[in-house]
Amino acid sequence: MFDETIPIKATKDIVIVRQKGRELAILYSFSKAEQTRFATALSELTRNVLTYAESGTCSFLVKSANRKSIIIARIVDHGPGISDIKLALQDGYSGGSGLGLGLPGAKRLVHSFDIESSPGYTQIDISISRTIR
Amino acid sequence: MNIIPILQLQSNLIASIQTELTDEQALAFQSELLEKNSALNTKGIIIDVSMLDVIDSYMAKVLTDLAKMIKLQGSKAVLSGVQPAVASTLVDMGMKLNSIETFLSLDSAFLYLTKEQSGKTKK
Repeated sequence: MFDETIPIKATKDIVIVRQKGRELAILYSFSKAEQTRFATALSELTRNVLTYAESGTCSFLVKSANRKSIIIARIVDHGPGISDIKLALQDGYSGGSGLGLGLPGAKRLVHSFDIESSPGYTQIDISISRTIR
Repeated sequence: MNIIPILQLQSNLIASIQTELTDEQALAFQSELLEKNSALNTKGIIIDVSMLDVIDSYMAKVLTDLAKMIKLQGSKAVLSGVQPAVASTLVDMGMKLNSIETFLSLDSAFLYLTKEQSGKTKK
């Protein structure tokens, strides 16, 4: 089960979400590089929510089994949705006034990136994983 | 309101970003730095980001825009202390910080600026 949900309503929530992500990454002994990549990906996706959907939520789930730790972040919004996911994941593509690095940039920073979108509902799951030695 | 202290050292301004900034704080910092640069007639500006754990695309844009604006004012802004993890994240994301010169440390940035300034004829 995903733990408490962090609302994404204002730009200060971008900082709250990425700090929470970093805290979890530190707690589960991810490297400094992984912490930073995860926090940055969360920052990009949370900002997307504010830009395209105005508000949304982020929740976290940690799985620890078979000597593996996985942190999953689920970002949900009820905005217009992404009509062409393939196009939105292409480098340089931007639907808004951004830098065109949002989705593809964030995707490159994490281990998995799953996206589901229809008008009124977009859900993005990103995760980082680590083998415990 | 800008929350980052901006200090003057000889003809340079030094701003060390010690905490994560919200978008509004980043913009407030940008505008105060431009105001101070103009009011104090400084030649160089060092923005130290060694305490900054995350530079996302927004912050990168604020910093590169700032460098361009400072250049329009006739001064020069440089960046110092980009953390190794931040540097690799920026590259992996495909982010370019082309319009701003960067230095490993505050010390080397300051040395560079003072050398450059002493080599130039005074305006």
